[in-house]
Amino acid sequence: MEEFALIFGYIYQYLDNIGFLILAASGLIIIFGMMGVINMAHGELMMIGAYITAFTYYAGVPAPIAILLAGVGAGIAGIILERLVIRFFYKQLLSSLVVTWGLSLMFSQGFLLIFGPSILNIPTPFGNFPIDEQTFGIYRLVLFGISMAMIAGVWAVFTFTRFGTHARATMEDPEMADALGVNTRHVYALTFGLGSALGGIAGGMFALTATISPFFGINYTPLAFITVVVGGGANVITGLLASVLALAGSQTLVNNLVNVYVGYLGMMGTALIILLVLPRGISEYLERRKIRTERASGRE
Amino acid sequence: MPLNVSNLYSGYGRVRIVQDVTMSVGEGEILAVIGRNGVGKTTLMKTLVGLLGTLHGTIEFRDQDISRMHASRRARLGIGYVPQGRGLFTRLSVGDNLVMGERVGGIGATNRRRVFQFFPILEERLSQKAGSLSGGEQQQLAFGRILAGHPELILLDEPSEGIQPNIVQEIGRIIQRLRHEEGLTVVIVEQNLELIHAVADRCIVMDKGKIIAELTADEIKEPEVAKRYLAIAT
Ligand SMILES: Nc1ncnc2c1ncn2[C@@H]1O[C@H](COP(=O)(O)OP(=O)(O)OP(=O)(O)O)[C@@H](O)[C@H]1O
Ligand SMILES: [Mg+2]
Repeated sequence: MEEFALIFGYIYQYLDNIGFLILAASGLIIIFGMMGVINMAHGELMMIGAYITAFTYYAGVPAPIAILLAGVGAGIAGIILERLVIRFFYKQLLSSLVVTWGLSLMFSQGFLLIFGPSILNIPTPFGNFPIDEQTFGIYRLVLFGISMAMIAGVWAVFTFTRFGTHARATMEDPEMADALGVNTRHVYALTFGLGSALGGIAGGMFALTATISPFFGINYTPLAFITVVVGGGANVITGLLASVLALAGSQTLVNNLVNVYVGYLGMMGTALIILLVLPRGISEYLERRKIRTERASGRE
Repeated sequence: MPLNVSNLYSGYGRVRIVQDVTMSVGEGEILAVIGRNGVGKTTLMKTLVGLLGTLHGTIEFRDQDISRMHASRRARLGIGYVPQGRGLFTRLSVGDNLVMGERVGGIGATNRRRVFQFFPILEERLSQKAGSLSGGEQQQLAFGRILAGHPELILLDEPSEGIQPNIVQEIGRIIQRLRHEEGLTVVIVEQNLELIHAVADRCIVMDKGKIIAELTADEIKEPEVAKRYLAIAT
């Protein structure tokens, strides 16, 4: 029984870490893959989602609907940001980093001015279950499930919808997409909105486990950033999955071998090694291999 | 008049490449553009399509001034572009590349049947990635892609480049069928004299960004005349 609790504990932690990274990074990696921009204000879009969730929740809206509203709100905020600022910095990784970092400061300071430093809390639903001496929160597993659903949803949108085809084509060759009558400005704005909405939903979900303050975003942006860079922009889904599995895995492992503080170091170390070998991220490598094997098999 | 260009200038940044080009293409006409490497043929095509800005002059498509119009709107008006190097989305499947052509000529029903009629190989390769097709298949896809929409004016930039002779002939036949059966208007940049013989009604010769001569169909057929203008020696 003790062994079972131990193993279950590892698995639980792994799933928890996976869910955390996917929720924090999925919107960010969509935007990166599409537009070559890493939005350092992604955490602040999550913060907006968290505030919307808290306010609507305390106004009597059920939590799931409050979280969806957070997605809508952050999505709209994202589209406005894209139109006003970010579209001028596409494919300019460094300038976009600086600009979006500035935006992130503006948002957190702005929220500090408007709402003050006060901290909001929403009780975590579903409670715990015990195994042996330990207790495990059910909501963490719900977060993991929703992160999986989020990936599946993103994959379905990009694979099966007309918008998805336009988006993937625009990602590869925006000029040609324009020359074929697909307005890439709309594709960019919608993609940015979608990524921001996912951030808002993630912020809403985390609002039920974390304290909500103007500096909420700082808990998420750095880890999401690393996940995205390790994953690479060549394929959003495989990049995100591969990166998250590796990073969450090493974090869980080092966590248990040493302790929690070193867990993050383990994750950074893994990121560093992956980037040394594959500087453009895991998905870039996987995509190149896929094309090569398809070419080989197409020429039988 | 499907296409009417007057005193057109364009280029890259401050470098002017296309200079003072005036030309027009009539309904159902097939106009060839020839000239040595680097004289600005592709630059002219990109300007017509809207991928490069017009510095000066006008481009009219069906009596509408499109010279300041965004490329995507020009395409939706009915301009179908097959670029040099084919411009395929190599990571997308053949089918998805065809989806990308459906907006040409407005948002209407897909014309996939027509594509497969002209290029049956594409139907067999539908779910394969475009990047894994052979060169000839890729050219057929680039051409087929715009036929998935409803183009009225087709701009082809060196469709014969890197392709075996029988597929070049096939492309020539398709161009003529499109003109006869559907009244399409075509501008084709080409180095391949046989293909030009086979399809062109008229031919303009470019040098250093300018139009320096215009040949009739009869003149095109005289090997000496065309060869003189295409002499690759520099
Ligand atoms: N992106 C670019 N930036 C700057 N100059 C360019 C660019 N593309 C082409 N040029 C220059 O413009 C000139 C015309 O090029 P263009 O591609 O239009 O020639 P072309 O007639 O199509 O040649 P080819 O027969 O080799 O295709 C060349 O001198 C080329 O170096
Ligand atoms: Mg050219």
